[in-house]
Amino acid sequence: MPTHKLASRSLMKRFGDLAVLHDISVAIDDGEFVALVGPSGCGKTTFLRIVSGLESADSGSISVDGAIVAGPGRDRGFVFQSDCLLPWRSVLDNTLVGLELAGRIGAADLERTRKLLSLVGLAGFESYFPRQLSGGMRQRVNLARALAIDPKILLMDEPFSALDAQTREIMQGELQRIWEEGRKTVLFVTHQIDEAVFLSDRVLVFARRPGRILEDVQIDLPRPRTLATKREPAFVALVDHIWRLIEHDVRESVLLEHR
Amino acid sequence: MIDVKRASAPAALETKGRRRIALFAMKGEYVAILSIVTGLVTWQILSDYLVANSLFLASPTQVLNALVALSVSGELWPHFGTSAIEFLLGYAIASILGIAIGLLIATSPFWKSWCQPWISGLYATPTVALAPLFILWLGIGIWSKILVVILLVIFAVIINTEAGIRSTSERYLEMMRSFGATKRQLFLKVSLPSATPFILAGLKLGIGRGLIGVVVAELYGSRLGLGRLIGQSADSFNMPDLFAAVTILAASGISMTMAFSKLEARLVPWTKD
Repeated sequence: MPTHKLASRSLMKRFGDLAVLHDISVAIDDGEFVALVGPSGCGKTTFLRIVSGLESADSGSISVDGAIVAGPGRDRGFVFQSDCLLPWRSVLDNTLVGLELAGRIGAADLERTRKLLSLVGLAGFESYFPRQLSGGMRQRVNLARALAIDPKILLMDEPFSALDAQTREIMQGELQRIWEEGRKTVLFVTHQIDEAVFLSDRVLVFARRPGRILEDVQIDLPRPRTLATKREPAFVALVDHIWRLIEHDVRESVLLEHR
Repeated sequence: MIDVKRASAPAALETKGRRRIALFAMKGEYVAILSIVTGLVTWQILSDYLVANSLFLASPTQVLNALVALSVSGELWPHFGTSAIEFLLGYAIASILGIAIGLLIATSPFWKSWCQPWISGLYATPTVALAPLFILWLGIGIWSKILVVILLVIFAVIINTEAGIRSTSERYLEMMRSFGATKRQLFLKVSLPSATPFILAGLKLGIGRGLIGVVVAELYGSRLGLGRLIGQSADSFNMPDLFAAVTILAASGISMTMAFSKLEARLVPWTKD
């Protein structure tokens, strides 16, 4: 049996009576970009947090390169929904924080991190402080910080959800460009179906109560994808297909929220 | 003619309005200076004409003269030096101990529960009232005053330090945990820097409290110090000297607080703007 980059086996998680995740089994190969979409409360973020080691599962396992994961580790880089940049650190020092915790910042690390900052479009901003940056720039630092530890897998938790619509479109394109450079394995949680389809090789569609995978949708659109891709019939059909899968659940969760 | 009148009436209104706005639209610093000058002039007029008896009030010019006379004669300096030493020693000890205790109780639930009743109780107690007791224990010298300063300053520092550590954003801690941070790293690289603005605020609060401690403790019994100078001057109805001592205390408090604000802007710039 070939080992996958990331494998989840019969993962279960309950919060009290609520089955947040039910029997989640997924295998993700090296260099795949996989998005998780679903209505709110479907457990997609919980799944990502279990993969990261920030939360633990009730049963089942997560393995990276065949090795079982227990707790956070530097083989996985987490990109947070809110940027979580430390306000007392410059852009460069924020980006270096993961390496610093591992206790190794050599000249080569510094050089690589600077290159990374220029890759995410922040060359010249190394000595700026978070309060001097826009939301989009802060998310670029957030991404660079996760890439700086050179993780095997990049875990992204709705990183663009706090950005305005135009900035988000730009950042999606930017993320695709950055990903093309290194082809890291990415697990990307979003509630935006078009964002998931635009970025991914595969979209895992989650359903709620219990949280489970409804369908594993292959996205075979050619790369690099552009803004025009979003107007193509094939793209629209995929978005439409996924929307139909979760429509009922989304309506239900919206009703629940407003009751 | 009619046309001219019509045209000029609104114009006149406008100038009047603009003049009124001009006073209120002045820059903050100028307003503050204007306010101080107005206060000093009022004080001068009050003491020259209304409370002309210099047994009860000294005018700003008299206070200035007293300040000059006291410093030229050299009488001021032993008083000033003694109070300064009492304040600085007490403040330094309280800061170091306060930050240490604050960090300890912020990180240990046991010590927090152990210390909390004492901290809450003593912070609210006017501990200056214990000054006579301390003089009895430690004598009339500087150490009884230092103890009062310590007691007045330390609880503000402890409480702020503890609150600072406790209010560390969970999001930052979680981010660091995702990168595999140890407990020690979380404390040194997140909690401590994020608590720094609070610790500085506690230290700043301590300046005013410490000055009160010095003066009140000296009033209870001392041979030297600005509090002693105040008590002595009050006993002999020497208002200019009394106000001179108060002015020095006020100036010290203001300049130390201002220096602290400068320090804050340098050390924790992210809390501004």
